[in-house]
Amino acid sequence: MDIRVLRPEDIPHVQLANLTNLPENYFCKYYLYHAMSWPQLSYVAVDVSRPKKSPYEPPKIVGYVLAKMEEEPTDGVQHGHITSLSVMRTHRRLGLAEKLMRQSQRAMAETYGASYVSLHVRISNVAALHLYRDTLKFTVDKTESKYYADGEDAYSMRKDLTDLLPESDEESEAEGDAADEGDEVGSAGKKENKEPSKESGKKTKEKKRKVKVGRQLGVGDLVERNESKA
Amino acid sequence: MPQQLSSKDLSLFRQLHKYYDSKQYKKGLRNADQILRRNPNHGDTQAMKALILNAMGQTDEAFALAKEALKHDMKSHICWHVYGLLYRSVKNFEEAIKAYKFALRLQPDNGNIQRDLALLQMQMRDYAGYLQSRRAMLQARPGLRQNWTAMAVAHHLSGDLAAAEKVLTTFEETLTKPPPKSDLEHAEAMLYKNTIIAESGDTRRALDHLESIMRNQLDRTAVMEMRAKYLLSLGRMEDAEAAYRELLDRNNEYRAYYEALEKCLSLERSNQEHRERLTALYDEYAKSSERVDAARRIPLDFLEGEEFKTAADPYLRRMLRKGVPSTFANVKALYSDASKKQTIEELVEGYSSELPMNGSAEKQPNGDHSDSFQQAVLFFLAQHYNYYLSRNLPKAMEFTDKALERNPESVDYNMTKARIWKHYGDLQKASETMNHARSLDEKDRYINSKCAKYQLRNHQNEDALKTMSKFTKNDTVGGPLGDLHDMQCLWYITEDGLSYARQGKYGLALKRFKAIYDMFDVWQEDQFDFHSYSIRKGQVRAYVDMVRWEDRLREHPFYARIAIPAAKIYVQLFDKPSLASGLNGPIPDYDKMDASERRKAMKKAKREQEKQEKAEAERREAEKKNAAKKPVGPDGEPKKEDPDPQGKQLLATKEPLGEATKYVEPLLEFAPRNIEGQNVGFEVFIRRKKYLRGLKCLLQTASVDPENPTLHEQTIRLRKSLDSLPEPLSPKVSEVVKSSFTLIPDNVSLSDFNESYISKHAGSAAHIRGGLDARQSLDSNTQKKNEEELIGTLQFSGVDIQDGLDGLALLKSWGADEATVSKYDEAARKRWPEATFFETS
Repeated sequence: MDIRVLRPEDIPHVQLANLTNLPENYFCKYYLYHAMSWPQLSYVAVDVSRPKKSPYEPPKIVGYVLAKMEEEPTDGVQHGHITSLSVMRTHRRLGLAEKLMRQSQRAMAETYGASYVSLHVRISNVAALHLYRDTLKFTVDKTESKYYADGEDAYSMRKDLTDLLPESDEESEAEGDAADEGDEVGSAGKKENKEPSKESGKKTKEKKRKVKVGRQLGVGDLVERNESKA
Repeated sequence: MPQQLSSKDLSLFRQLHKYYDSKQYKKGLRNADQILRRNPNHGDTQAMKALILNAMGQTDEAFALAKEALKHDMKSHICWHVYGLLYRSVKNFEEAIKAYKFALRLQPDNGNIQRDLALLQMQMRDYAGYLQSRRAMLQARPGLRQNWTAMAVAHHLSGDLAAAEKVLTTFEETLTKPPPKSDLEHAEAMLYKNTIIAESGDTRRALDHLESIMRNQLDRTAVMEMRAKYLLSLGRMEDAEAAYRELLDRNNEYRAYYEALEKCLSLERSNQEHRERLTALYDEYAKSSERVDAARRIPLDFLEGEEFKTAADPYLRRMLRKGVPSTFANVKALYSDASKKQTIEELVEGYSSELPMNGSAEKQPNGDHSDSFQQAVLFFLAQHYNYYLSRNLPKAMEFTDKALERNPESVDYNMTKARIWKHYGDLQKASETMNHARSLDEKDRYINSKCAKYQLRNHQNEDALKTMSKFTKNDTVGGPLGDLHDMQCLWYITEDGLSYARQGKYGLALKRFKAIYDMFDVWQEDQFDFHSYSIRKGQVRAYVDMVRWEDRLREHPFYARIAIPAAKIYVQLFDKPSLASGLNGPIPDYDKMDASERRKAMKKAKREQEKQEKAEAERREAEKKNAAKKPVGPDGEPKKEDPDPQGKQLLATKEPLGEATKYVEPLLEFAPRNIEGQNVGFEVFIRRKKYLRGLKCLLQTASVDPENPTLHEQTIRLRKSLDSLPEPLSPKVSEVVKSSFTLIPDNVSLSDFNESYISKHAGSAAHIRGGLDARQSLDSNTQKKNEEELIGTLQFSGVDIQDGLDGLALLKSWGADEATVSKYDEAARKRWPEATFFETS
């Protein structure tokens, strides 16, 4: 099983893996949005040993992590977020999820200066909880009640990435990064990005069901039906 | 002449603009009407009103009004721009581009129109036009970096690498001081330029350039990969080795790195003398990490004989001891080598004979006597004997049952059992067993998906949807099925369509295939917003990757999987238009009945259909009542109800071959090496009397598989058709045919050609079927003989159930009588006693 960065042509099979494994699903365009905005952060596990049935058979994706940077961090700290992670049942216990996560986390710190990475997990998902807490050393930040569409609560978890930040930059640029990032990425519609702080709480809550991300930059109609993961 | 507005109306008009931009459509309409009351022929206002009407979903009215606006004011850029926007919204990009160009001619400095035109040109891959637009945009605002980047992308994609690089360099030279390291847009632009230099083939310059910008790059993985690649291709082996070792230190599960490292060390897997050093190399990496799999698994690819066995043994034991359920999936690729297959079989069989009997597992937590090891061994063997290269279904079942004895609640074991039933051809038991596996872990969507798939294979479409509904959003329009469409769940919709096709429910089958066809259109349109977004964001390399992927989107096998059966149905509809009246049920063979029987059967079919329609109407009525809220799609837009849920309109097409062509063309263009696609392409073209296109399909197939059975039969059919044309081909076409249609030697009769094919391929069921079909079409008096020989193919060694099914379909296509069909079925049942396909009805 190869672990490598996600390419646009992987998307149909990543979407297939997601729809096969998880109840939280996304349009092709939402995967594209990740791949076009933070092309370094999403990774796939590929079954390279599978004999090809036709010259057009694309790589068989058996696991993926779909990751992003938080575009408007409410705490003002650059951080990454895991949108979705799953591994096919037939390919479990190979440690793929962990390997995918480690690659993604390093890229978050190296490329975008992420100080930490966050994610949500169903409180009933024991296997995933074990992976995040025991293997990957995430900690539970808080519980978000009724986070999922079906009414289940989520643990909001996070992991510190400051160890992974590029050494020379840690002092001088970590701060600068945060400021620059906004300037540059949001130059097209920075004003609309800024929201009164009292509203930001409300927005986070809405995010569970429907969120139009990146619209200010021109990616219309991006709907994330349920921003959650295994 | 356009009407002049009073100052009051002018301000109303400006407001109208604002209302449109802020989506206050009702207010906008009111403004527009106010203006039009005083100035009924004011084109610009009419145009703006049309735009609003369109946004409110009244497309037809919008187009009518926009045309009227143009009539009143042909020289208004607003009218033309709006006209273009309307076309753009109905995805008629060609017309939209034309309209934008008119608008731009009237107002060359209008940035909005210029931008809209550029984006469409990019979407349509009109690179010449795009370059022109981008040049104008750059000249208008040269201070914006993104305009330079976009210009470079335009050159790059249109193939002018030197111009692309020059544009990027020109902008760099305007920078007075180097941007900070955190300027991602700058870093990315530099890296983009480096990929352009590399693509131009000047690797040495690419390396120098990369090393000069490396320090400030944040995408470290990409930089390291690019540098390693350049070093290797320049033959700087020591540096390249160091670079790849560094990459492996970061990610030791990527075969491309290992393969490159082998090249750096001049090691070849096929060279016996290199084996020892290769083994040592992989050993080194295996020892460096307890968790790495690649370094342990790769040597199994190149080792042979005793060495292979020595390496495979600890590998398998280690995986099985850990109880890794994917152990088999991980090694089955080795089975293409028969001796490796044999070795693995012997090894794991050996582990199983070490196991204590009766499941009395000694309670050892680790080691080869632990229960988890034993179960893993049994599970491995179950999968091994279920795999097509090592199939022995009774043994597979035996090992599965042994594993289940130890752990009856295992989802994996039950799932494998279902698979074994599938291979036996008992779809009923397969579906039941998979459903049992599902019930053991109802929160796992993977097993839920598998269960639905098995239900579809067993014609349980309603059950399958019910299964799926446990994980879908069910309060959307169209219920679970609607949600599966919204979420682009291709696999399910495809399987559902294939299931209906097998049942002869062609309306529903076409409905599903059309849905997938449309989803590919959506995927293609998805790139549109990124033409502007990615340039602004500055992530150019990823964007170029996406554009190149979108260019060959329909080479994806997901497309072929629906295009081929869809085209086949349309071809059948052309041959037998009466199929369309059968709508969605098994179609009685009207041709075989006498007049009164036919009348009766048709009446009955009609009654059935009316009944179905009534039930459908009632169901929809009930659904409407239940849906309390307004039907809204996932994008928040109002969703229209599907007026043709059964695919009746699709089935009633007057142009079945035209529809078939729509499916086939992208297949032939993007996946020419797909033989099945060429096969069905031929069927479409020969019916449309496009003999050259048909011939092209044959030649393509011949270049991939010259002995292909369908190709053989089609070749003979084309020859026969060409020899008996009512009117001769035009001299030009005739010349091409003569020079390129050389698949059949000149001096041989078709029948001799066919008989020699048949004897050449004795023992191969698929090839014999091709030969028999050709013989049947050459001389229908041979039917009895052909039928006998076809039944004979069921005795060949190595025939599988699919052969049996294909043979049955062929037999029926010849119009064989019932006695013959039941004789065939009997022979098939003898061969596959568990299979449920061969029940003569």
